[in-house]
Amino acid sequence: MRGTCYRCAQPAQTGCEVLGVDSYFCKFLASLLGIIFIAYGGSASAQQQVIGAPPEASNMKLVGYNDLQARSAYQPTIHHQGDRWIAYIGHHGGTDDIPDPVNPMTGKGEPNGTSIVDVTDPAHPKYLHHIPGQEGKYESGGAQMVRICDGKTLPKGDPNAVYMLRAVGSEGHEIWNVADPANPVLVTHLGEGLKDTHKNFWECDTGIAYLVSGAPDWRTRRMTQVYDLSDPAHPVKIRDFGLPGQEPGSTGAVPTELHGMISTGPSGNRIYFGYGTNKGGFLQIVDRDKLLNGPKEPTPENLRFPEVSRMPMSAFNGAHTTFPMKDMPIAEFAKDKDGKTRDIVMIVDEAILNECGEPRQMVWFADVTTETRPMMISSYTVPEASGNFCERGGRFGSHSSNESMAPVYYKKMAFIAFFNAGVRALDIRDPYHPREVGYFIPSITAATDKRCVPADGKDRCKVAIQTNNVETDDRGYIYIVDRANTGLHILQLTGPARAVAGLP
Amino acid sequence: MRRRLSAALAIAVCTLSGAAAYQHTRSGGEGWREIAWPFPRDGWPAGRAFHCDVKACGEEVELYVRPKIGFCNCDSGVADDDEVDRVADLDLMSDRFVPLEPGVVTQIADMHGRLRAYDLAMSDGSRHAAVGIAVSHRCDLLVAVAQGNADAPAVQRAALAFLGTGDMARWMMSAMNGG
Repeated sequence: MRGTCYRCAQPAQTGCEVLGVDSYFCKFLASLLGIIFIAYGGSASAQQQVIGAPPEASNMKLVGYNDLQARSAYQPTIHHQGDRWIAYIGHHGGTDDIPDPVNPMTGKGEPNGTSIVDVTDPAHPKYLHHIPGQEGKYESGGAQMVRICDGKTLPKGDPNAVYMLRAVGSEGHEIWNVADPANPVLVTHLGEGLKDTHKNFWECDTGIAYLVSGAPDWRTRRMTQVYDLSDPAHPVKIRDFGLPGQEPGSTGAVPTELHGMISTGPSGNRIYFGYGTNKGGFLQIVDRDKLLNGPKEPTPENLRFPEVSRMPMSAFNGAHTTFPMKDMPIAEFAKDKDGKTRDIVMIVDEAILNECGEPRQMVWFADVTTETRPMMISSYTVPEASGNFCERGGRFGSHSSNESMAPVYYKKMAFIAFFNAGVRALDIRDPYHPREVGYFIPSITAATDKRCVPADGKDRCKVAIQTNNVETDDRGYIYIVDRANTGLHILQLTGPARAVAGLP
Repeated sequence: MRRRLSAALAIAVCTLSGAAAYQHTRSGGEGWREIAWPFPRDGWPAGRAFHCDVKACGEEVELYVRPKIGFCNCDSGVADDDEVDRVADLDLMSDRFVPLEPGVVTQIADMHGRLRAYDLAMSDGSRHAAVGIAVSHRCDLLVAVAQGNADAPAVQRAALAFLGTGDMARWMMSAMNGG
């Protein structure tokens, strides 16, 4: 556990000075500040977080917690596996201070990879196993992305197997059999010499996987490699895909790199690609059948062939998550003779700079009912003044949403990871007017890592929660993980927010 | 009347302070003068733009330079020529640019990265030589692009000489450190 402590002129001010490790002063200061924080109500209007202060919450409460061995976390994926619920959490690489955190189960330092946690009893999550990832710090290492498919669902999978697909740093992608989640077995490895990997998608009923990769001959760090993983032991490459200008041998301007995609499978026949991170993003709607069965040579014409449309965003925003919600009934339009239901895509930008060093990254809702003319219809952000989030330290802004399409929340509520503003629960039943109905900002711990900005030629550092990703399960539990090493928090809705989802 | 006087005073103050800033730059690079950033707003804040006259640079050369904070791989920096193609702001002038040869490693203001020469097809049908430069400091990029009617080596020489002046080096490091 890290015990570095920071001394500040005032709790909410800049200019923290690093003190010793685990000093009595640290503990005294933390306790004192915690008492002061509690005395003032611990509201979201407080500024910098302090160890010992309670979480900040509205209509959400903590059910269970695991520290994930103090590893920086990216994607949690929750899988109902027999009579158990298992959380698979992908990690970024380690930090400058601790490149390879110690796994207490092995007693060894291991590069961050994938944490496997039994969350059957969400109040008492049980850490089962850590699969090491690629050596490397921050986004240069780890194994960030993770998707799960049952062997019995995949067309040619072993029916007794449960397969985990994970991106491994820039080394490629791996498939593991996690039928026994405490003892995963490597099945296969894909990709060689990639520049990068990222936010993959895997259709469990067909086995088609869209792998975010950086093929070595492409002009971008991230594009799509489409594979048939219906038999995970024998991957079959289908094609490379990207934007004209990114393909090998092209010249001129290079379009914004890919972030990730979500497919609606053969029935929906659409894939929603998100490009960009915090700049120049756009949503691309792709005809799945044309992508899989059209001409595959990466020429500009062939890359354009499956594209249905493209919706540019502001140069100020990028698209991390593009979450489709088709045929949403809109109450306000119920009496209209046409257009009662709308196809909506929720687009979540990713903030990347600390302390509001960029335009606000937030959440956008696009009406894509007329596919060739998609249009932004609404947006959502956390009001900065509600927590003085620009002064708290670390990133403030959105990063990602839950991607589960389980009925408990689908088309009713969305959960947005908002870095130092924690997770935000939105009522999206009317996507033209999304409304926040709850939030939860976890407490920091001694493991929570600092975040720094340059000031006057030196680093000025603060410690704040950095809720990075969120996922939900079919039972309605909400899982949030922290980029600044704080761990996994399992939450549930309370009060009026439960009614929005129709929960008792 | 009072409003007109106030407006005139404001314009005069702005003009004088702008002129002072330009003069400050000129002293660091003979023949170069600062000009207004000529491009529409995009994802990054505007940078600084400079013009070099024929007498000093042989042909007219323009240079555009700005930081792109948080836009670089923190560990690998500017890893390859593709990255220079992507980030070096050539597309501000034209989407149609073709590299003339593989890029080379360079160092600007103690920051390491790459430099690459291009043929640039301008919208008026003319062709310019351009040099794209991308260097990094931790997770941040500093990009510069120079273009002109001279051949690429001449544009490159002029741009590197100007970027190597003390004033420019100090400004670039300050800009990369939140200054």
